[in-house]
Amino acid sequence: MTDTHCPYCSLQCGMTLSRKGPRLEVSERTFPVNEGALCRKGWTAAGLRGSRERLTTPMVRDRATGEWSAATWDEALDLVAGKLADLRSTHGADANAVFGGGGLTNEKAYQLGKFARVALGTSQIDYNGRWCMSSAATAGNQAFGVDRGLPFPLADIEQTDVCVLVGSNLAETMPPAARHLDRLRENGGKVVVIDPRLTPTGERADLFLQPVPGTDLPLALGVLHLLDAAGAVDEDYVAERTTGFEDVRRSVAAWWPEMVERVSGVEAAQLRELASLLAGAGKVMVLTARGAEQHAQGTATVLAWINIALALGMPGRPYSGYGCLTGQGNGQGGREHGQKADQLPGYRMIDDPAAREHVAAVWGVAPESIPGKGRSAYELLDALGTPDGPKSLLVFGSNIVVSAPNATHIASRLAALDLLVVADMVMSETAALADVVLPVTQWAEETGTMTNLEGRVILRNQAITPPENVRSDLDVIAGLAARLEILQGLSVGYSPVDRPKLPGLPGPTWSTDPAEVFDELRAASKGGKADYSGITYDRIREEDGVFWPCPEGSEGTPRLFAEEFFHPDGRARFVDVAHRGPAEVTTDDYPLHLTTGRVLAQYQSGAQTRRIKELPDEGAFVEMHPLLAGRVGAHDGDPVVVRTPRGEMKAPARIVATIRPDTIFVPFHWVGANKLTNDALDPSSRMPEFKVCAAAVSA
Amino acid sequence: MSSEATAGDVLSQSAPPQKRIVIIGGGMAAARLVEGLVARGLGSQTTVLAEEPHVPYNRILLSAVLEGTHRPGALALREKQWYADRGVDLRLGSLVVDIHRDTKTVELADRTRVPYDAVVLATGAIPTLPPIRGVVRMDGSMDPRVQAFRSLDDCARLLDTLHDHPHGKPRSAVIVGGGLLGLQVSRALAVRGIETEIVEGRDHLLSSQVDASAGKVLKRSMAKLGTQVYLGARATRLTDEGLRLDNGYTLETDLVVLTAGGRPRANLARRAELTVNRGIVVDDQLRSVDDPDVYAIGDCAEHNATTTGFVSPAWEQAGVLAEVLAGNEAAYEGHRVVARLRATDLDVCVLGEPQHESGEVVEIANPIKGTHRKLVVRDGRIVAGALVGDLSRVGLITQAFDRQTVLGEHEAGKLLLPEPSAAGSGVPTLPDDAEICACAGVSAGRIRACTSLEDVRDSTRATTGCGGCAPTVRQLLATRPNSTQQPSDTKLSLEGTTS
Repeated sequence: MTDTHCPYCSLQCGMTLSRKGPRLEVSERTFPVNEGALCRKGWTAAGLRGSRERLTTPMVRDRATGEWSAATWDEALDLVAGKLADLRSTHGADANAVFGGGGLTNEKAYQLGKFARVALGTSQIDYNGRWCMSSAATAGNQAFGVDRGLPFPLADIEQTDVCVLVGSNLAETMPPAARHLDRLRENGGKVVVIDPRLTPTGERADLFLQPVPGTDLPLALGVLHLLDAAGAVDEDYVAERTTGFEDVRRSVAAWWPEMVERVSGVEAAQLRELASLLAGAGKVMVLTARGAEQHAQGTATVLAWINIALALGMPGRPYSGYGCLTGQGNGQGGREHGQKADQLPGYRMIDDPAAREHVAAVWGVAPESIPGKGRSAYELLDALGTPDGPKSLLVFGSNIVVSAPNATHIASRLAALDLLVVADMVMSETAALADVVLPVTQWAEETGTMTNLEGRVILRNQAITPPENVRSDLDVIAGLAARLEILQGLSVGYSPVDRPKLPGLPGPTWSTDPAEVFDELRAASKGGKADYSGITYDRIREEDGVFWPCPEGSEGTPRLFAEEFFHPDGRARFVDVAHRGPAEVTTDDYPLHLTTGRVLAQYQSGAQTRRIKELPDEGAFVEMHPLLAGRVGAHDGDPVVVRTPRGEMKAPARIVATIRPDTIFVPFHWVGANKLTNDALDPSSRMPEFKVCAAAVSA
Repeated sequence: MSSEATAGDVLSQSAPPQKRIVIIGGGMAAARLVEGLVARGLGSQTTVLAEEPHVPYNRILLSAVLEGTHRPGALALREKQWYADRGVDLRLGSLVVDIHRDTKTVELADRTRVPYDAVVLATGAIPTLPPIRGVVRMDGSMDPRVQAFRSLDDCARLLDTLHDHPHGKPRSAVIVGGGLLGLQVSRALAVRGIETEIVEGRDHLLSSQVDASAGKVLKRSMAKLGTQVYLGARATRLTDEGLRLDNGYTLETDLVVLTAGGRPRANLARRAELTVNRGIVVDDQLRSVDDPDVYAIGDCAEHNATTTGFVSPAWEQAGVLAEVLAGNEAAYEGHRVVARLRATDLDVCVLGEPQHESGEVVEIANPIKGTHRKLVVRDGRIVAGALVGDLSRVGLITQAFDRQTVLGEHEAGKLLLPEPSAAGSGVPTLPDDAEICACAGVSAGRIRACTSLEDVRDSTRATTGCGGCAPTVRQLLATRPNSTQQPSDTKLSLEGTTS
């Protein structure tokens, strides 16, 4: 029996694994986030154990014939390291790029960031979390000076008065979280859901608003307009704990309810209902998720909702405030420890000299040897194989061709590489395009920490030994690093700065023991915003996880902002934001809004869940309203074609009255949806606009 | 100013000179234009000459302030400091008396002159004063019972009157004009407990927007709300007895509010010998047809033989003009107007000009309920419409109108029908293959096969995810064929599985 956590979403539900012969069985375990509950993804998580689809040997593809052949680990790693060293000596360090994932443990994310900066010397590293929470992260940093998904434990939801969910379908995407909503309602609290689709989460709402995709921002401006008009702003709080309100207050004078109605398609009366609900509540929680965040104005949208929470005086008060429901299992920790193009461990910024110095000391390298800021995820992929772009890409924990926007284009960029290496447990759609595929362990086969949506650092314990010849990502990194040190050390033409190890410096170490890597991570994060230095595996086991920031000697911080915010003056910032609208507007040729999202039984690109036989794999579908179905002659279950300026896909129609008639929805777990989506990026978070583009549908 | 430039300073010579932009007017169009100019880095080249003493504010909200639902302090669109911080020279209380196109200066009432490279007229509209004798007294002053309603000062004066009136707090008011503003003001005063009456010269309310039958519905709704409406009647004289109408009635009243519409304020343009029809005639770049350095936007402008009295076209014009002044390509191609009444208990939304657009008309009315909804459809597109008394799906209809979506056959009609309510399928009739627990993927049949809630949890894992299905599961268990509670529906025993 091994106590651990679910491999999937950011709840990281507690569960117990036990061995039943060759099988692994999941049973419930009390953990504050899920209280023993699991969704079917969790219950069936052990289903990949013993699956025929597990990769158990490194594979190398012959470019001329396209044929795969098995290789030994030494052959595969020698091949990859040799090519990486060649590319670096020919084109410079930035010729090699690394793409990580929000499902990797903190230890792996940390080691991957170090590997890129130290072993490869490249600035070109980013991860798929950029497509997940980056808008909320950017907004949180701007408003509060820190980015932690929820500034309070999830169960705090039960104690608030009004909980506003903007673009979250948690009842389907993270079902056990819905229990807290239900308990809130039992306690007499109200739930507000804002979504273009009436989802199972929306069905739980006391008030449901159904805006046009891409208009959560003007909706927020309209709410603040009404709050100010009604005198519901907490002037004392605004004066004592914030700056920047006057500009924001004036900017919303232009967003009266009927103007908002015209832009958002939400009736003015409903907007008034929401505002009066908020004005009359003592405790308000505003929670955003991907629906609000995955836009070219995602950061501004989140800021507009944070402005509401601040104007009501909520952040820092008990059972109140703003939070982001992060998505991936370790979306939070994954960005804190150096996988992001602009960050170093401990949520340090890579262009901060003090941060570089601290981290360089832990790594045993010279500060000037650490590269600067690299490209963001989409920009990185977009540059692959271009004259100035990377010539190789190492992928860990991501299935890019399914999850990237404008996916056909991205597949063509991958094809332009000199070397594509994918570490995965199955032959994902991206692995299938690689030159080298490295078989790696899955969650039950290894130990490591994750940081869930609450900023709670939890521990996954190894329950079983991995299949023979399968290695952990830490092994892969160490194997490549060791080879690169030899190859690059012997190469000529490197300036001393290119050499990570300088006389007098110990040089980096590449442990494959998660506990050792975690200790190094603790030291690297020490003094940073996401300070893990006081967290140990033992403490996590004893305390049901530990909340960062947790410097040595600290008990951890379950609730943030009670005394002050993380900006130097201790105050939160109001940010004046303007509505520009979606990057792509509807036209006669593309008259509908397309939005994308998840279904309950699948997770992300489906690389794991589509291979678990207990989970229904019904394939993609096109959700549309009966009015629209009537217009285009679509019948429930019959195939329809969706087109956007970037591509098209065919899937059965699913005709439901719960979606706006001017909007269609496609789930993104299967190849197709992201051939349609728009790659317009948010100017500050670099988040692509997954959640709205112009589309046409025909039967 | 450019005395620092030397002979070698070739680069600065080729750079475009700083264009001085002067905006005449400080209303909503002007404020939006300034935002656009600031966003394009032209703030420090911009001067705003605003006649009113207040920073630009949201005029749309005045009736809400009157009604008491909007804090007067929450009207300003920007703080004075905001303009200053961005280098905008905002001069409040500046009355422009002339535009001298020959010297490219504008002249203020105090005779100072402001030079321009581009001048923008955003002078708005002036309210039409109906010819009522007695409104202006012998000494030239206005009768204290009479109020206009266009500016913040008008609104403040009216509010003062409500609290402090020579004859005590007013109990009754007559609103002259039965248009959008008249209805809003009437409702606002009624909400404050004042008995209101409306006098409208045309034969129905909102005559510029809706047809006679919709107007009739509105009149009836107003009556229900306690407001008497006099149609086809003109106020002719204000006397000590009250307001006398041309139909012989005299309405006793403590207050008379004039809301009888307005016309483009184009006197400056006329004096400057610019072409003015109803408004100042401009091209697609909002440029006067006579002078490439003179522009006009908002209520005072006439584009394509059209003037509008609405904010959204004015703001669209402001957006286009900001681009034009920044040297970018942009064109104003007209605008679809959605007029939305803002008044408690009175729902009206008018799309385009339903009185003038031709096309297929879909109409659903229920005079008893006080609703009248009409859409004009041409080539599958909603080209106009009027929704009175029932705004369901207004957020969808306006989207289809604004985007000119091509609808399917009969779709416009369906938009006006009530939404089919998600008929609550009763638990006993749930077919066995209906999914009850989405989290665990459990059908009704599998739950019916269980003996207890514990059995359900252990053998199917239903209720162990989000917990939302627990009530349905309990009901299904209670209505099992051999449970103590026999189901009333005998069909169930045929469908139920054996356990």
